Amino acid sequence: MELEASFAVAASGMRAQSLRLRVVAENLANADSTAESPDADPYRRRLVTFRQALDRELGLARVEVDRIITDSTPFQLRYEPWHPAADKNGLVKYPNVKPLVELVDMREAQRAYEANLQTLATARAMLRETIDLLR
Amino acid sequence: MTPLEAARLYGSIAAKTLGQATGAPADPTRDFTRFLREELAQAGETLARGEQVARAGLTGRASVQEVVEAVTAAELALERVTAVRDRVIAAYQEILRMPI
Repeated sequence: MELEASFAVAASGMRAQSLRLRVVAENLANADSTAESPDADPYRRRLVTFRQALDRELGLARVEVDRIITDSTPFQLRYEPWHPAADKNGLVKYPNVKPLVELVDMREAQRAYEANLQTLATARAMLRETIDLLR
Repeated sequence: MTPLEAARLYGSIAAKTLGQATGAPADPTRDFTRFLREELAQAGETLARGEQVARAGLTGRASVQEVVEAVTAAELALERVTAVRDRVIAAYQEILRMPI
Protein backbone atom coordinates (compact mmCIF):
# COMPACT_ATOMS: atom_id res chain seq x y z
CA MET A 1 0.00 0.00 0.00
CA GLU A 2 2.92 2.36 0.71
CA LEU A 3 4.09 2.20 -2.88
CA GLU A 4 0.61 3.01 -4.18
CA ALA A 5 0.53 5.91 -1.73
CA SER A 6 3.74 7.25 -3.23
CA PHE A 7 1.99 7.34 -6.63
CA ALA A 8 -0.59 9.68 -5.16
CA VAL A 9 2.00 11.91 -3.53
CA ALA A 10 4.18 12.08 -6.64
CA ALA A 11 1.14 12.85 -8.78
CA SER A 12 0.20 15.70 -6.45
CA GLY A 13 3.72 17.10 -6.86
CA MET A 14 3.42 16.85 -10.63
CA ARG A 15 0.09 18.66 -10.54
CA ALA A 16 1.50 21.43 -8.35
CA GLN A 17 4.49 21.90 -10.66
CA SER A 18 2.22 22.01 -13.70
CA LEU A 19 0.31 24.86 -12.12
CA ARG A 20 3.59 26.62 -11.40
CA LEU A 21 4.59 26.26 -15.04
CA ARG A 22 1.22 27.69 -16.05
CA VAL A 23 1.91 30.77 -13.95
CA VAL A 24 5.38 31.11 -15.50
CA ALA A 25 3.74 30.88 -18.93
CA GLU A 26 1.31 33.63 -17.96
CA ASN A 27 4.18 35.83 -16.78
CA LEU A 28 6.21 35.30 -19.94
CA ALA A 29 3.23 35.77 -22.23
CA ASN A 30 2.26 38.99 -20.48
CA ALA A 31 5.80 40.36 -20.17
CA ASP A 32 4.85 43.26 -22.46
CA SER A 33 1.20 43.71 -21.48
CA THR A 34 0.76 47.36 -20.62
CA ALA A 35 -2.28 49.10 -19.21
CA GLU A 36 -4.80 50.88 -21.40
CA SER A 37 -4.44 54.24 -19.71
CA PRO A 38 -1.65 56.05 -17.77
CA ASP A 39 -3.37 55.69 -14.36
CA ALA A 40 -4.08 51.95 -14.65
CA ASP A 41 -1.51 49.31 -13.74
CA PRO A 42 -0.05 46.88 -16.28
CA TYR A 43 0.17 43.13 -15.77
CA ARG A 44 1.70 42.29 -12.43
CA ARG A 45 4.02 39.30 -12.12
CA ARG A 46 2.43 36.33 -10.40
CA LEU A 47 3.97 33.69 -8.15
CA VAL A 48 2.77 30.44 -6.64
CA THR A 49 3.27 29.32 -3.07
CA PHE A 50 3.10 25.66 -2.14
CA ARG A 51 1.92 24.04 1.03
CA GLN A 52 1.57 20.53 2.31
CA ALA A 53 -1.87 19.04 2.09
CA LEU A 54 -2.30 16.42 4.77
CA ASP A 55 -4.47 13.53 3.71
CA ARG A 56 -5.75 12.37 7.09
CA GLU A 57 -7.54 9.35 5.69
CA LEU A 58 -4.38 7.83 4.23
CA GLY A 59 -1.87 9.70 6.38
CA LEU A 60 -0.08 11.24 3.41
CA ALA A 61 1.57 14.62 3.07
CA ARG A 62 0.71 15.69 -0.45
CA VAL A 63 1.61 19.03 -1.92
CA GLU A 64 -0.74 21.57 -3.39
CA VAL A 65 -0.57 25.14 -4.55
CA ASP A 66 -1.53 27.31 -1.62
CA ARG A 67 -2.12 30.61 -3.38
CA ILE A 68 -1.20 32.52 -6.48
CA ILE A 69 0.22 35.77 -5.17
CA THR A 70 1.30 38.88 -7.03
CA ASP A 71 4.80 40.29 -6.99
CA SER A 72 4.71 43.80 -5.47
CA THR A 73 8.09 44.97 -6.80
CA PRO A 74 7.86 48.25 -8.79
CA PHE A 75 7.03 48.29 -12.48
CA GLN A 76 9.63 49.06 -15.11
CA LEU A 77 9.30 52.49 -16.68
CA ARG A 78 10.12 53.01 -20.34
CA TYR A 79 10.15 56.24 -22.30
CA GLU A 80 7.56 55.72 -25.05
CA PRO A 81 5.63 59.00 -25.53
CA TRP A 82 3.62 57.62 -28.47
CA HIS A 83 2.10 54.87 -26.32
CA PRO A 84 -1.56 55.34 -25.27
CA ALA A 85 -0.60 54.44 -21.69
CA ALA A 86 2.21 57.02 -21.49
CA ASP A 87 1.95 59.62 -18.72
CA LYS A 88 2.69 63.32 -19.18
CA ASN A 89 6.46 62.67 -19.02
CA GLY A 90 6.17 60.04 -21.78
CA LEU A 91 6.85 57.12 -19.41
CA VAL A 92 4.97 53.86 -19.76
CA LYS A 93 4.67 51.33 -16.95
CA TYR A 94 5.71 47.87 -18.11
CA PRO A 95 5.12 44.67 -16.10
CA ASN A 96 7.64 43.71 -13.41
CA VAL A 97 8.37 40.48 -15.26
CA LYS A 98 12.03 39.64 -15.81
CA PRO A 99 12.28 36.98 -18.52
CA LEU A 100 15.54 35.62 -17.12
CA VAL A 101 13.98 35.04 -13.70
CA GLU A 102 11.01 33.38 -15.36
CA LEU A 103 13.29 31.08 -17.32
CA VAL A 104 15.04 30.02 -14.13
CA ASP A 105 11.67 29.43 -12.47
CA MET A 106 10.54 27.43 -15.49
CA ARG A 107 13.62 25.23 -15.34
CA GLU A 108 13.05 24.73 -11.62
CA ALA A 109 9.47 23.65 -12.24
CA GLN A 110 10.68 21.26 -14.93
CA ARG A 111 13.29 19.69 -12.68
CA ALA A 112 10.84 19.32 -9.79
CA TYR A 113 8.31 17.75 -12.17
CA GLU A 114 10.95 15.32 -13.42
CA ALA A 115 11.89 14.41 -9.86
CA ASN A 116 8.27 13.57 -9.06
CA LEU A 117 7.94 11.63 -12.28
CA GLN A 118 11.05 9.66 -11.38
CA THR A 119 9.55 8.89 -7.96
CA LEU A 120 6.45 7.54 -9.65
CA ALA A 121 8.49 5.46 -12.10
CA THR A 122 10.65 4.09 -9.29
CA ALA A 123 7.65 3.17 -7.13
CA ARG A 124 6.10 1.43 -10.10
CA ALA A 125 9.31 -0.47 -10.90
CA MET A 126 9.67 -1.55 -7.26
CA LEU A 127 6.11 -2.80 -7.12
CA ARG A 128 6.43 -4.62 -10.44
CA GLU A 129 9.68 -6.29 -9.44
CA THR A 130 8.02 -7.49 -6.25
CA ILE A 131 5.04 -8.88 -8.15
CA ASP A 132 7.41 -10.58 -10.60
CA LEU A 133 8.77 -12.53 -7.68
CA LEU A 134 5.47 -14.46 -7.63
CA ARG A 135 5.77 -15.58 -11.22
CA MET B 1 8.83 -50.69 15.99
CA THR B 2 5.72 -52.67 15.17
CA PRO B 3 3.24 -51.46 12.55
CA LEU B 4 0.67 -51.04 15.28
CA GLU B 5 2.86 -48.65 17.24
CA ALA B 6 3.66 -46.71 14.08
CA ALA B 7 -0.01 -46.36 13.26
CA ARG B 8 -0.73 -45.10 16.77
CA LEU B 9 2.07 -42.53 16.51
CA TYR B 10 0.82 -41.37 13.12
CA GLY B 11 -2.64 -41.09 14.59
CA SER B 12 -1.50 -38.90 17.46
CA ILE B 13 0.53 -36.63 15.13
CA ALA B 14 -2.40 -36.37 12.73
CA ALA B 15 -4.72 -35.47 15.57
CA LYS B 16 -2.37 -32.69 16.68
CA THR B 17 -1.72 -31.20 13.24
CA LEU B 18 -5.31 -31.52 12.09
CA GLY B 19 -6.44 -29.94 15.32
CA GLN B 20 -4.17 -27.00 14.60
CA ALA B 21 -5.27 -26.85 10.98
CA THR B 22 -8.96 -26.77 11.84
CA GLY B 23 -8.27 -24.31 14.64
CA ALA B 24 -6.84 -21.64 12.33
CA PRO B 25 -9.75 -21.04 9.89
CA ALA B 26 -12.11 -20.62 12.84
CA ASP B 27 -10.78 -17.06 12.95
CA PRO B 28 -12.74 -15.47 10.10
CA THR B 29 -10.14 -12.76 9.44
CA ARG B 30 -7.51 -15.41 8.69
CA ASP B 31 -9.60 -17.32 6.20
CA PHE B 32 -7.67 -17.48 2.93
CA THR B 33 -10.78 -17.55 0.73
CA ARG B 34 -12.12 -14.50 2.42
CA PHE B 35 -8.77 -12.76 2.09
CA LEU B 36 -8.68 -13.56 -1.62
CA ARG B 37 -12.20 -12.31 -2.11
CA GLU B 38 -11.44 -9.01 -0.37
CA GLU B 39 -8.23 -8.54 -2.35
CA LEU B 40 -10.08 -9.24 -5.59
CA ALA B 41 -12.83 -6.81 -4.72
CA GLN B 42 -10.25 -4.14 -3.99
CA ALA B 43 -8.40 -4.84 -7.23
CA GLY B 44 -11.71 -4.61 -9.08
CA GLU B 45 -12.36 -1.23 -7.51
CA THR B 46 -8.88 -0.01 -8.50
CA LEU B 47 -9.45 -1.19 -12.07
CA ALA B 48 -12.83 0.50 -12.26
CA ARG B 49 -11.32 3.72 -10.95
CA GLY B 50 -8.52 3.53 -13.54
CA GLU B 51 -11.08 3.14 -16.30
CA GLN B 52 -13.23 5.94 -14.97
CA VAL B 53 -10.31 8.38 -14.63
CA ALA B 54 -8.97 7.42 -18.07
CA ARG B 55 -12.38 8.22 -19.55
CA ALA B 56 -12.48 11.53 -17.66
CA GLY B 57 -8.98 12.27 -18.95
CA LEU B 58 -10.02 11.70 -22.56
CA THR B 59 -12.83 14.20 -22.20
CA GLY B 60 -10.53 16.67 -20.46
CA ARG B 61 -12.10 16.44 -17.02
CA ALA B 62 -9.03 14.87 -15.35
CA SER B 63 -5.40 15.94 -15.55
CA VAL B 64 -2.76 13.77 -17.20
CA GLN B 65 -1.16 13.19 -13.80
CA GLU B 66 -4.40 11.88 -12.34
CA VAL B 67 -4.82 9.54 -15.32
CA VAL B 68 -1.25 8.26 -14.99
CA GLU B 69 -1.70 7.72 -11.26
CA ALA B 70 -5.00 5.83 -11.59
CA VAL B 71 -3.97 3.79 -14.64
CA THR B 72 -0.63 2.78 -13.09
CA ALA B 73 -2.42 1.67 -9.92
CA ALA B 74 -4.94 -0.29 -11.99
CA GLU B 75 -2.23 -1.88 -14.13
CA LEU B 76 -0.29 -3.04 -11.09
CA ALA B 77 -3.44 -4.30 -9.38
CA LEU B 78 -4.23 -6.38 -12.45
CA GLU B 79 -0.67 -7.72 -12.56
CA ARG B 80 -0.83 -8.63 -8.91
CA VAL B 81 -4.15 -10.42 -9.30
CA THR B 82 -2.94 -12.40 -12.30
CA ALA B 83 0.30 -13.31 -10.54
CA VAL B 84 -1.61 -14.58 -7.50
CA ARG B 85 -4.05 -16.43 -9.75
CA ASP B 86 -1.20 -18.13 -11.63
CA ARG B 87 0.32 -19.15 -8.34
CA VAL B 88 -2.94 -20.58 -7.01
CA ILE B 89 -3.54 -22.51 -10.25
CA ALA B 90 0.02 -23.82 -10.22
CA ALA B 91 -0.44 -25.03 -6.65
CA TYR B 92 -3.72 -26.70 -7.59
CA GLN B 93 -2.11 -28.45 -10.57
CA GLU B 94 0.70 -29.57 -8.33
CA ILE B 95 -1.87 -31.22 -6.06
CA LEU B 96 -3.61 -32.83 -9.06
CA ARG B 97 -0.32 -34.34 -10.25
CA MET B 98 0.38 -35.81 -6.85
CA PRO B 99 0.64 -39.63 -7.11
CA ILE B 100 -1.88 -41.30 -4.84
